[in-house]
Amino acid sequence: MIVGRLIDYLMAAAHQVARKRMRVFLTALGIAIGVAAVVGTVSLGEGIRYQAVEAIKEQSDLTLIEATADIRGGAIQLITPAKIGELDAIPHVAASSAVVREAYATKRQTYLEVVGVDPGGIGDAIRPKYLKGESLAPGSRQAVLGHDVAETLQRYEGVRLGDTVPILIRRYDEDGMPVDEEVGFTLVGVLQERDDAFDQVMLIDRGVAQELRGGEAAFDGVLIRVDHPDAVFGVVDGIKGLGLTARGAFQQIESVNRLMDVVVLILAFFAGVALIVGALMIVNTMVTSVFERTREIGITMAIGASPADVVYLVLAECLYIGLIGGVIGDLLGVAFSGAINTFGKPFIVAQLGDTFSTFADAEITLITPGLLVLGMAIAIALSLVSGLYPALKASHLNPVTAIRTGV
Amino acid sequence: METIIEAMHLNKAYNDQVTALLDVNFAIGKGEFVALLGRSGSGKSTLLNILGGLDAPTSGEVRIDGRNVDFGDRKALIALRREAIGFIFQSFNLIPALTAQENVEYPLLFNYHEKAARRERAADLLATVGLADRAHHYPREMSGGEQQRVAIARALVGDPLIVLADEPTGNLDSRTRDEIFDLMRRVNRERETTFLIVTHERELGKRTDRTIELLDGSVVS
Ligand SMILES: Nc1ncnc2c1ncn2[C@@H]1O[C@H](COP(=O)(O)OP(=O)(O)O)[C@@H](O)[C@H]1O
Ligand SMILES: [Mg+2]
Repeated sequence: MIVGRLIDYLMAAAHQVARKRMRVFLTALGIAIGVAAVVGTVSLGEGIRYQAVEAIKEQSDLTLIEATADIRGGAIQLITPAKIGELDAIPHVAASSAVVREAYATKRQTYLEVVGVDPGGIGDAIRPKYLKGESLAPGSRQAVLGHDVAETLQRYEGVRLGDTVPILIRRYDEDGMPVDEEVGFTLVGVLQERDDAFDQVMLIDRGVAQELRGGEAAFDGVLIRVDHPDAVFGVVDGIKGLGLTARGAFQQIESVNRLMDVVVLILAFFAGVALIVGALMIVNTMVTSVFERTREIGITMAIGASPADVVYLVLAECLYIGLIGGVIGDLLGVAFSGAINTFGKPFIVAQLGDTFSTFADAEITLITPGLLVLGMAIAIALSLVSGLYPALKASHLNPVTAIRTGV
Repeated sequence: METIIEAMHLNKAYNDQVTALLDVNFAIGKGEFVALLGRSGSGKSTLLNILGGLDAPTSGEVRIDGRNVDFGDRKALIALRREAIGFIFQSFNLIPALTAQENVEYPLLFNYHEKAARRERAADLLATVGLADRAHHYPREMSGGEQQRVAIARALVGDPLIVLADEPTGNLDSRTRDEIFDLMRRVNRERETTFLIVTHERELGKRTDRTIELLDGSVVS
């Protein structure tokens, strides 16, 4: 019923539009230019966002997330066996392994970030690749070093594979006096460079770490392997839903997105100024059109149209302007985006520097279906808003005066 | 005979100065074919607009088909125009962007009829006024007489009780004028639609059931 009415109005309006093709086309062009500007500039922003995110995905271990204890609403959420069970139950979690985090210092005061892992369960979670040596033997005082920290220790302390890393662990005696206990870890492996936090850590056996800590069986975090990069943010939400904090390479994507949201918004805003001109063109065209048809509108009312009918008829005409403007705008926008890609890329790549050298052989603009839908929606919404004033003006015409004096 | 239009003490003043109607009283019976005569400026259009609910009187009452018209109720006035009244104007009556068929269908659009029913009814009426073959022609492609016939079909499409025609033959040559007049007369006889036709041509008045004559806003006969 409602749809039927809508079609009726659109059919009637189609005749009016068809009669003034040139005028409608030119008005639609005004909107189209604004839409094209928005689509083109946003496609640039989206393209850069896409490339940056792809670069992060390429360079880092995106599917590795660490869930850590967090204070939520005053209550600390601990990593309990029950919590680990809940984490494992999150869809797309392929593997998980609880860890203990510690900070040690070597005898020569090199600070070491230590992760106590379960040598049996850690393989699936962090997928370690060894530059040298092999993995930890369960229950033993052995250490595997991340790439960067291994280099540091070798350079400044001369520690090599097979050597013992001397660690001082500070304890306090009965009188509260600090006592440093020396513990030696045999270096059994060095990880390949990963470009993430694991380059900086020393991995030791989890049981050993807990024992050195004083025997409490608590965990500080859970390393989680997600089965697919696309599922990462879903798993992050799941972790947050359990009251825990999530950390990992995905955070870089989050910050890129935050930045690009602002950039895209600003770009779209400036491009959108062109839309104001288009909107004013519609107002002008429709006011003229209503004025020219004063008598016709009066007669329409005399034969039974209500003011609301008149409003819908005028808005239906505007809808065509919006539709035509949206289609042309999207097409021009795609062309504009292509032009940015062809002529603007060398310039932009030069500005971004080496980090984003991957951009050189990629598209720096990205047209998504959503962007085209947005362009269409802007054109339609704007045409309807612009048509409101002429439509109301038409509906307020007094039919008697309109018929008596109208042209 | 059943009364279908009743005007009681109708007064209309524009801007508190121009008196267009002065204590107008008359009644028209169902199925009557009446001419409204009077010089230019005597208030004929004003009266017609008030009877059709397009304009409100300054004072007085109008009764259509036994019911008082409430000029303050906009919805009721729209319903009156949609259901009870058909309007024909002097010229440039039709919507230029629509074909003859679409022009005739147009009032039904606001009456919420089904598309198929609208089309059929419009085609019927175009045939009644003898323009079945011009259905897809635009107003600019038709003569003045043909346009007025389309306007008559349009006025009849909602099956109104009353057709109010404001100088429907004003811009036509005498032969075409007679044709249009005869057509309205025929419709009046066949459908028993009441016609009130404004004209300033006395001669046409002789071919109606009855004439009402206005002089400076008052009924003189
Ligand atoms: N909207 C209006 N404002 C002011 N005066 C009007 C208006 N409409 C009609 N009149 C005046 O009212 C009188 C009657 O006009 P009208 O009904 O159009 O006469 P007719 O149709 O018989 O020629 C005329 O004097 C005319 O000038
Ligand atoms: Mg008149």
